[in-house]
Amino acid sequence: MAAIRDSALTRAFDNDWIGPGLVSLIAVVAISMAQPAFLSSFNIFVLMSAISVNMVIALGQLVIIGLGQMNLALGSIGGLVAISFVGVIERYGVPVPLALAFALGIGIAAGMSSGYIIARTMISAFIITLAGLQIFKGINLGITEAQPFYGVPEAVKTFGQASVIGPLPWLMVPMMICAFAMWYVFNRMRIGRHILAMGSNPHAAELSGIDPKATIIWAHAISGLLAAIAGLMLVARLQIGQPTIGDDWLISSFAAPVIGGAVLTGGRVSVAGTFFGVVIIAIITQGLVMFNIDPFVVQIVLGALILWAVAVNRLREVRIARVQARGAGA
Amino acid sequence: MAHAGADRPIPPGSAPRRMSSGMRLLLGNEFGLAVLILLTAATFALTLDGFTSPFSVYTIGRQIGIDTMIGLAMMAVIVTGGLDLSVGAIGVCSAMLFGWLMQVMGVPVLVAVPLAVLFGASLGFVNGFTVVMSGVHSFIITLASMSIFFGVMIFLTKAAAFNGLPPQVQAFGKMRVLPGISPLLLITVAVCAALVVFYRYSTLGRQMLAAGANARAAELSGIRTGRVIVACHMLTGLLAAIAGLMVTARTGAAVPSMAGQLGQDWLLPAFLAPVLGGTLLSGGRVSVIGTLLGATFINIMTSGLLLMRVGEFWILAFLGMMLLIAVLADRTRQIFLTSRGMI
Repeated sequence: MAAIRDSALTRAFDNDWIGPGLVSLIAVVAISMAQPAFLSSFNIFVLMSAISVNMVIALGQLVIIGLGQMNLALGSIGGLVAISFVGVIERYGVPVPLALAFALGIGIAAGMSSGYIIARTMISAFIITLAGLQIFKGINLGITEAQPFYGVPEAVKTFGQASVIGPLPWLMVPMMICAFAMWYVFNRMRIGRHILAMGSNPHAAELSGIDPKATIIWAHAISGLLAAIAGLMLVARLQIGQPTIGDDWLISSFAAPVIGGAVLTGGRVSVAGTFFGVVIIAIITQGLVMFNIDPFVVQIVLGALILWAVAVNRLREVRIARVQARGAGA
Repeated sequence: MAHAGADRPIPPGSAPRRMSSGMRLLLGNEFGLAVLILLTAATFALTLDGFTSPFSVYTIGRQIGIDTMIGLAMMAVIVTGGLDLSVGAIGVCSAMLFGWLMQVMGVPVLVAVPLAVLFGASLGFVNGFTVVMSGVHSFIITLASMSIFFGVMIFLTKAAAFNGLPPQVQAFGKMRVLPGISPLLLITVAVCAALVVFYRYSTLGRQMLAAGANARAAELSGIRTGRVIVACHMLTGLLAAIAGLMVTARTGAAVPSMAGQLGQDWLLPAFLAPVLGGTLLSGGRVSVIGTLLGATFINIMTSGLLLMRVGEFWILAFLGMMLLIAVLADRTRQIFLTSRGMI
């Protein structure tokens, strides 16, 4: 009896997204009971817009976390892409589809170049992406001189403000596409499996015929592409090409995947869990605003959430290991 | 990392081909950097007007003092193979406490300084304790703590600066000990000397290096690595606090934004100086003098480029490139030396 209950419990906990999902649900119910305005259609629209952008950002970090690395340059790639997109339209009158392709290309190229250097030299991703962060940010500020580009085309502005149905913003569409694509990559595609295999045991992965260099470059290219998409979504949402886009992505990009059960040493990620991680962060941020709490408290809460998630993940690992050991013994 | 062993100090007698100390000096990072510094400084002095003006020399020296201190703070934790993203946050928090103690509580300067520095060390203790207790990599712990430290500081200060510090603080920041030398630079040089002695001769310093080079071997030879790692983080906090106070003296006020959002602006100098100076990111090897030389090189380059009217923003990109080149050069040097059987 005990064994059955234990395994059912473990299986439930083994689903990375159940815990964060429950927490999200409880948070929504609790806040909307205290503040009915929380469920107003305006508020849902704002909340969903924020969730959409932050989810794409978190996915960009999730790929690299799966690999067992980190990407500090995520935000600076997003910012560079954002200002390049608006910049070429404003200065050179480039048509929007071409500018989009150009901007996404920059994101992929930026990600690939850090991936290439990491794969080629095997120097820690931390230091390479730290250098990348400064280089991309420097280029961004060198071009804009810290002044925003205002020439965002009307179509893009409308995209950032319009809703599909009711309070659901159009921004959700790219987010859902990205989330589904990443779920597909991790669960159904060879490159996704290779990334996770590299993350959980690089040596074993290499011995079983996975090309480590190609895997690292691919992962960083995907990360760069997602950073680019997030940067463009923020242009649509903010309605200007702001050079500061990406400056504050670092903490939340790690917080959401970790809350969603990703293991930072690599090899274990959850797209659904990450989504609920993003939702929890958004609800807390929004909740603090609604209760007129100092917005700076968000920083403290985010930091505490990371620590809490890390502790929960550790406990779960220990529990799973214990049950597995018992199963092996029986 | 596979190549981590390549740069470790050579145990006497066991090296394939023993190098003379002169040879080792020539191949070391410090020597290369010193030559590079002399060359760039000489070029700028000959070609750029105003590079050698007393004011320019004074400000470059003062900034070298601050950047070295930030670099040393990071170096103290890189020793363990870890890192501390919260150096900037600790520096700002300590500086803000320093300002609050003097302006609001009326504490005299000479009492406020040690209190603020101890506060930095205690924030470092929180980091180190959490890292050792949880067994989670210091990256994620200090990512969380940088957010928490900075958030609490902004919450308590309401993001307002302390402008009414005693006049001695600002006077100290503007003082010239010798013509063209800031006392801030002298403090840094003194701290460097203390750290050289600390890592070479003190038991704790040597234990830090041993734990960083090979934690398991250190544990087996009786070192309590957990305590040593906590001590490394405390040293980081202490040095970050000193750097924070130095910036406060330079500006004459304790400003919450002095290290940027969450203290992130300190990350580049914090890694650039030690990495240029030859500190290994995988731990086990430090170079205090290298860090000083690294910061010197960065500042000479930066002020030279500024005088050449390269935009301030492009210099950011340039420094990023420099970090990249530094790690690539270091890797090439390791591969070269290994292939020649020199290490």
